[in-house]
Amino acid sequence: MTTVPILKIEDLRTYFYSRSKQALIRSVDGVSLEIMKGETLGVVGESGSGKSITALSVLGLIGAGPGVISGKIELKSNRIQKNLLEDLEDFVKLTTRDGKIMEVSKDVVGWERKAERVMDKVRGKEIAMTFQNPGSSLNPFMPVGKQITEAIRLHTSMKTEPEAKERALTWLDRVKIDSPRLRFDHYPYGLSGGMCQRIMIAMALASEPSLLIADEPTTGLDATIQSKIVDLLGELKSELGITTMLISHDISIISRLSDSVAVMYGGTVFEYGPARHLLSEGEEAKHPYTSALLASIPSAQNIREKGYLQAIEGDVLDTINIPEGCRFYSRCSRVTERIREKCIHHEPDLREIGSGHKVRCWLYFD
Amino acid sequence: MKHYFQKSGVIGEFSDLPFWKKADEVDLAYVGYGLLTVALVVVSYFLGSFNLLPRDPQEIDLQLMMAPPGTAGRLLGTDFMGRDMLSRLIVGIQAYFLPGLLAIFIALSVGTALGVLSGYRGEKLDTGITYFMNLVDSFPRLVLILLVIAAFKPDIYYIMLAVGLTNVPAVASLIKGKIQFLKQKNFIEADIALGVPTSTIILKHILWQNCRSLLIIRATLGMAEAILMETSLSYLGFGVQEPTPSWGNMVQSGANYFMQGKFWPSTAPALAILFTILGFHLLGDGLNNILEGKRNS
Amino acid sequence: MPKTILEVINLKKHFTHRKGLFSSFRENQQSIPAVDGVSFYLKENETVGLVGESGCGKTTVGRTVLRLEKPTSGKVIFDGKDITSLPADELTLLRGQMQMIFQNLDAALNPKMRIRNILSEAITVHHKIGGAEVDRRISDLLEQVSLKKSKLSNFPHELSGGEKRRVGLARVLSVGAKFIVADEPTSALDVSIQAQVVNLLQDLQKRLGLSYLFISHDLRVVELISHKVAVMYLGKIVEIGLSGRIANKAMHPYTHILWSSLVEKQNIETPQKAKSVQAGRWGVFDFERPTSGCRFAPRCPVYESKGKPAPCTDPATEPQLKDIGGAHQVACHFPL
Repeated sequence: MTTVPILKIEDLRTYFYSRSKQALIRSVDGVSLEIMKGETLGVVGESGSGKSITALSVLGLIGAGPGVISGKIELKSNRIQKNLLEDLEDFVKLTTRDGKIMEVSKDVVGWERKAERVMDKVRGKEIAMTFQNPGSSLNPFMPVGKQITEAIRLHTSMKTEPEAKERALTWLDRVKIDSPRLRFDHYPYGLSGGMCQRIMIAMALASEPSLLIADEPTTGLDATIQSKIVDLLGELKSELGITTMLISHDISIISRLSDSVAVMYGGTVFEYGPARHLLSEGEEAKHPYTSALLASIPSAQNIREKGYLQAIEGDVLDTINIPEGCRFYSRCSRVTERIREKCIHHEPDLREIGSGHKVRCWLYFD
Repeated sequence: MKHYFQKSGVIGEFSDLPFWKKADEVDLAYVGYGLLTVALVVVSYFLGSFNLLPRDPQEIDLQLMMAPPGTAGRLLGTDFMGRDMLSRLIVGIQAYFLPGLLAIFIALSVGTALGVLSGYRGEKLDTGITYFMNLVDSFPRLVLILLVIAAFKPDIYYIMLAVGLTNVPAVASLIKGKIQFLKQKNFIEADIALGVPTSTIILKHILWQNCRSLLIIRATLGMAEAILMETSLSYLGFGVQEPTPSWGNMVQSGANYFMQGKFWPSTAPALAILFTILGFHLLGDGLNNILEGKRNS
Repeated sequence: MPKTILEVINLKKHFTHRKGLFSSFRENQQSIPAVDGVSFYLKENETVGLVGESGCGKTTVGRTVLRLEKPTSGKVIFDGKDITSLPADELTLLRGQMQMIFQNLDAALNPKMRIRNILSEAITVHHKIGGAEVDRRISDLLEQVSLKKSKLSNFPHELSGGEKRRVGLARVLSVGAKFIVADEPTSALDVSIQAQVVNLLQDLQKRLGLSYLFISHDLRVVELISHKVAVMYLGKIVEIGLSGRIANKAMHPYTHILWSSLVEKQNIETPQKAKSVQAGRWGVFDFERPTSGCRFAPRCPVYESKGKPAPCTDPATEPQLKDIGGAHQVACHFPL
C-alpha cells in the first residue's frame, strides 16, 4: 500500500429533483473521499446515505436531472491523471440562499457531451464497477462469455477473439465458476445470483482496471453464497492487490475486507479512517452514528440474554429536508450541553483526530 | 438548459402537490380542451333534446342558401338549403350521444366483468375467457356492423351495441392486466389474509381505487370512436337519414357543392367532427399521462 | 402449561408447472415440491424461527399455514381446529387470529389509501364498530406500535420503511391476531431500523402474548428472537431445536455451514478452515430432476468425506427427523 491516492473525491454534490414536492433531493451533499493505491475502502451507509450515488457519479452514470453539479473527482491511474469534472462547472449555475443551494441551472446536453469524452476512456478501462442485482445487470441476450470478451477487447490491448477468450476463461476460473468452458456459452438466464455476481466481477477485472467499485456485492444473495463472494474478493485482493471501493450496508463484510472505512449518512461522510479504528468495540474516538450503528447489531450477549437491542431512535434522514446543523442531531444520544447549540445550528467539518482518522462531530472539536 | 427550482427551505410532510400543480402543462392543456369539448357536447345534447335551438334546424330558407357565418343572424351560416348550420350541428349530436354512451356502457361493464373474472380467479376461467376474447377481437368490426345493418334495420342503437361488444376484449384485457399487476403487489393478498370480503376487495380496492382512471380514459376513447363510427356510417348513408341532421350526412350532402366552390356546407360539419373527436382523444391522452403516467420519485 | 397454538403435520405443497396448451385441464402437469413433508408445532407466546436459503420453501410454509395457499396434503391445526380444508366462510371467521407480515413493505399496503383508512378498514372488517370507537382503537394501535399520529393522513409511499412495517403490524393487531407469520420482517429495512422493529416485536410478544413463526435469513436476529429454530433445505426440515443449540451445537452439516458463514463474514480469525465443513463449488439445484435420497448429499461435506455412503442417496432410506433428546430433532444419517 502506498500513499498515492488513485481516486480523490472532493466536495462532490449530486442532486436530483422531486417534481411532486418541487424540491431538490440532495443525495450526495459534499462528499470527500480518498482511495489509496492497493487498498480497499469500505463505504458503509444506510439508505439515503448517498453511497451508491457517489459511485455512479464517479463513473458518470447518473441519468436523472440535475445530477452531478459540483466537486472534483481526481483520478490518478497509470494512464490518466485528471480531474474528471474539469471545466464542467461552466455548464452549471448554482443559486444559494441562506447557505443552501436552492436553484440549479444546468446545460445537461453540454455537460454530457464534454464529460463523455473523458468518461469514455475511464469506464471499464480505468474504473470498473459491479452492481447490485447481478441478475439484471447482465445482458440477457448475450452469452456470458461473450460479454466478458467484449469488455476485454474494448478495454485492453487484446483485440482478437481467441486471445480475449483465453483471458476470459482464465478469469472465469479465477472467480471459481465451475466448468468455465461450458459456462462460457451460457446465457445469464437460469444462472444463480452468486454466479452472476462472480461473472460481473470477472468482467470488471478482466480488463485490468486501476480501480474496482463493488456496489453491494453480497446483497440479495443467500448467506452461504455471501461468504463465498467475500472469500473470493479477499483472495483477489491478496493475490492481485487491486484497489477497491467496496460499498455495502453490511458491516460484517466491510470489516472483513476493508483497510479503510468511510461511514456515510444523509449525503455526507461522517467518519473516515483505518478499519481497525472505526470498527473496533467501544466508543472511543468514534462518531456517535458509527458507534450506535455497531451497537444495534445483535451481539453475542444480546442473543444469549434474548434482550432488547440498542436501537437508534427516529428514522434515517430523508435527503430533501437537510437540517441546519448536524444531520444526526435528532437521533444522537451523545449530545452534551456544551455543544448542543453548535449541533443544532452548525454542521461540523470533517476533522482529523489522529493517524488518518477523521470525524465530523462537535464532540471532537475543542 | 434545465432549471431546477426549490421555493422554500423546509419541505413539510404533506408536501405532495395536488395533481394540477405537478402535471405537465401540455397535459393540462389537453385535459382543459377535452373538458371543454365534453361540456359543449353535453350542453348541446340537452339543448337539442329540449329543442332550445337558435332556429328550427329544418327551416328551409331558399334566400339564404350557403350563406357564410354571420349572415343575417346565422352564427355559423347556412347549409345548401338555407337551414341554420349551428342548429343543425347541435341537433346532430343527438345522433351519436346516447348511442355512444350505450357503446361505452356495454364495453366497460361487460369488459370489466370478464376482466375481473379472468384476472382474479385465474386458471381455467382465464384460459377460456381469453380464447373467447381473442376470437371476438379478430372479427373485423366494419364487417360485423354491416352484417348488423343488413340483418336489422340501420338503427344506430344496434350498431352501437355491436361497437360496444367488439370493444369488450380490449377493456377486458386492460382490466385483467391491471389486476395481475396488482396481485403481485401483495396488498390484495394482505386483504385476503385480514379477512376482507371478496366483494370489497374487487369493487373498492381494485376497481374503484386502481382501475377507475383506466376506465375513464377508456370511456373517452370509446366516445371518440363512437362519434367516428356514427359519422362515417351516416356519411355512407347507413345511419341517420335526411332531413334529420347528423354530422356525417351533413358532410355527405354538402359534398355535392364542393365543385361549385361552396365549401362551407361540407366543411362546417367536418370541422365539428374533427375538433370533437380531437377533444375526446386529447382528454383521454392528457388524463392518461396525469393519472397513469410516469410517477416521479 | 402453554397450549399448542399451531400444529403442522407432514405438510406438503406442490406447485404445478404449466406445460402445454390445455395444461389447466390436463392431469399430467409437472409439479414443484416447494414444501415436501414439514412437521412442527408452536406453543402460545412462543417464537419458532424458520431459516433456510432461497428456494427452501420457508415462505411457502408460512403462506400455506395461513391458508393463503391450499395445502397439497398434510394437516394444519390452528388452536385445536383442523383448518387444512376448512371451507372459505368458516375460515374467514378464524382469519382474524392468524395473520401475516409480508416481506415486501410497499406492496402490502394499498397505495391509494391513507393510513387512517387502511387501519379503520381493518378494524371494521370483522366487527361493526362506530366512528368514535374506531378512532379510539386507532389511537391505541398507534401507541402500541409507536407510530406518530400525524402519519394517519399520509399515503404509504410517504412513509419510511420502518413506519410502513409498523403500519403492517398495527393492521394485523387490529383484527385480533394471536399468531403472526412474519416473513422477513427486517430484510428490507436499514440496519438501524431493524433493531427498532426487532425490539417492537419482542415487546408486543411480551405484552400481548403473541406467537410468531419468524421466517428470516438473518440468522442472528432469528437466534435472538426465537425459542426454537427449524432449518429448512429444499422443502424439508433438516433440523429443529432450541435456538441456542441450533446456533452453537448444530448436528446437521447444513445447519453448521449456515451458521459458520456468519462467522466467516466477520473479522474473526478463522484458522485454516476445517476441510470437513467446507463445501465446495456447486451449481443450481434442478427441481425438475431431484436427487434421490438425502437432498443435501450433493453438497454435503460429510457425505464426501465418508466416501459417499449408500444410505445417503438411497431413496428408501431418505433421512427422517429423529428425536435426539432435549427437543432436538435431526434428519441425517451422520449427524455431527
